[in-house]
Amino acid sequence: MAAKKEPHFSYRNCVSCSICVQACPVGALDLTRPGKSGRYRNFFPELVNDRCIGCSMCAKSCPMECINMTAVFDGE
Amino acid sequence: MKSCTGKILKVDLTAGTTSVEKIPDEIYEAVLSGKGLGAWYLYKNIPAGADPLGPENILGFCSGALTGTGAFMTGRWTVVCKSPLTGGWGDANCGGVFSSAIKQCGYDAIFFSGISEKPVYLYCDNKGAEIRDASGYWGLDAVESENRLREDNSRGKKPCIAVIGQAGENLSLISGICNEGGRIAARSGVGAVMGSKKLKAVVLAGSKPMPCADPDAVKALSKELGRKINKMWIPKGLGGGIGLMGVGMGKSPLALPMDGSMTAYLFREWGTPSNTPLAVTSGDGPLKNWSAGPNEVHGMRLAMDYNPEKINKIEEAKYHCYSCPLGCGGRLDISGIDYSEYYETHKPEYETLQAFGPLCVNRDLRSVLYMNELLNRAGMDSISAGNTVAWAIECYENGIITKEQTDGLELKWGNYEAEIELLRKMISREGFGNDLADGVKRAAEKYGGKEYAMHVGGQEPGMHDTRNDPQLGIHMVAEPAPGKHTIGMSIQYGAMSLCDICSWAPPATLHPKSEDLEPTENIALISKANACYSMLFDGIGGCYYAEMMGVHMYKAIEYINAAAGWNYDGDHYMEIGARIQTIRQMFNVKHGYEPSKVKLPKRMQGMPPLKTGPLKGVTLKNDEQVAAHWKAFGWDEKTGHPLPETVEMLGINRLMEM
Repeated sequence: MAAKKEPHFSYRNCVSCSICVQACPVGALDLTRPGKSGRYRNFFPELVNDRCIGCSMCAKSCPMECINMTAVFDGE
Repeated sequence: MKSCTGKILKVDLTAGTTSVEKIPDEIYEAVLSGKGLGAWYLYKNIPAGADPLGPENILGFCSGALTGTGAFMTGRWTVVCKSPLTGGWGDANCGGVFSSAIKQCGYDAIFFSGISEKPVYLYCDNKGAEIRDASGYWGLDAVESENRLREDNSRGKKPCIAVIGQAGENLSLISGICNEGGRIAARSGVGAVMGSKKLKAVVLAGSKPMPCADPDAVKALSKELGRKINKMWIPKGLGGGIGLMGVGMGKSPLALPMDGSMTAYLFREWGTPSNTPLAVTSGDGPLKNWSAGPNEVHGMRLAMDYNPEKINKIEEAKYHCYSCPLGCGGRLDISGIDYSEYYETHKPEYETLQAFGPLCVNRDLRSVLYMNELLNRAGMDSISAGNTVAWAIECYENGIITKEQTDGLELKWGNYEAEIELLRKMISREGFGNDLADGVKRAAEKYGGKEYAMHVGGQEPGMHDTRNDPQLGIHMVAEPAPGKHTIGMSIQYGAMSLCDICSWAPPATLHPKSEDLEPTENIALISKANACYSMLFDGIGGCYYAEMMGVHMYKAIEYINAAAGWNYDGDHYMEIGARIQTIRQMFNVKHGYEPSKVKLPKRMQGMPPLKTGPLKGVTLKNDEQVAAHWKAFGWDEKTGHPLPETVEMLGINRLMEM
């Protein structure tokens, strides 16, 4: 079964800076996930389409180290 | 410079061609990128006497030297050109996401020359640049244009788009350039220059990696800053007390150096609207077209009308510019405003709130939210438009302008319905509005009331009163793009602690406010330090609010060294700031803009002084302070022209040969 990596976000330390969104070379991310940063309403990054190529550019770019690349398998 | 691409894109709109130019590394060493790169390029390439709305003018979109390196708060992009508003150097600065998009196309800046025969837009991605027909978008407002352009170019990565609205298309001299649904590079009439070139938009969809010498070191600095900011919060409901704080500040005979972290706390909670009630009661914000103290306009009531908690109540979510952990922006739900055809708007900045609220003695916050959206969509500068509307109201109240001339509008203090209608006319250049669409200087030349026309060298001043902060008065005049409020203030200097990175910058002290009025060498060094640090931030694409956090919270010097692979100290970087400022002033001299002829309006100098309030009796010694500022820069203290030995010492002659 072919394994591919995709970003997994830990929003606790995320500051919604969108550095990861811009770093993505294929436009797979956007700041669209509603949530809270402390008590402030905010939007956080998430995968918004199936374009992710697992390149890890988002994870490498994140200053707050909120993104881990995790393996996913076909059919998941 | 390892944090820059080393290339610029040049677009000739007359010929319909594009080309790429490599920039020598020495240029980045000398002026960084952003406004510095723009100043170098425009000084060299715009011929003296060029018509600002003609083909010889060049319009540049510049990213910052730190944009895309992982450095927080470096997502500002700067638009540069010869200003049609002042006839001299022009620039405007904006947040959003566009700065990183320039670099992801593989360039540090994009420069447009010439004039297209028909409306066009530039599309650029990893494969290259292409000039495309924009006839189908011409006439649409900035938000609608941006949405449609994004839809029509959605095959690859979501594009970032800079666009003009109707104000820029109509060549309004107070128009700007928008991105992200209405964030606007507003000053200097840059929108009119874009409109004159028939350039509707710049659409960028590149995805190239952005360079950085030591990304791990940069990320470590950002992580430290991000963690601090993430822990900041202010208990709910305290916004109503800000006006009272302003009363205390206004009454105090002493100027207090503020801690830089205060900026972060206030702006994280409320954004810049946190300043409005404070400005109304402390003397910082101009009232009734710069003519009144707080008591004359029921200041405490006005302060409560603009309590930022009211804005937080309708905030749907925070808005963050690229690389910003603070999020001083926000998206507001304005569907409750019955006469609004729009449901949402960007949170207005303090400048807009003050300009259409207290400056016009308008107590209706909702009307200002609506006007904010009108201006953002049209792409019109709210500072310039607000000063112009306030002038019109004062002229009307004093019988200088009649109801017939205003097309029937009852321009009275606080009549927000008339304000809205006048704005609509200004945006569409209809009737009386047509005469106001080019700013207050030109309007007063036609109708009179010059004593009520607040402009500095043709540009309307930002919403901070020079009588409250004489340091600001120096910069409003001495700044090569006059009237700007973002170059330096006393309160900002106190927060920045520049003496800890710069050997010649004086320490900020607790001192009597009256000392700030004197034309001393100490005050001149403070104003020079303010201007140099501000230019440094414009070179790196840094945000003004990062600057205001101070050197201990926002470690700009460490950031630049890590991103560029350099190891310079603060003095070196302050000299870069002085070099950028000197080139901008040389641009003015080259184009016949005489700095010594630029004066603050008498009212802004306290001539005559206000009779009530915190600024009662204050009169500036602005001419003497400006002369001392020029001298500190190594410019002629009488003319403001950079002296040959200063130009030589800064190595500018050599740069211009490259």
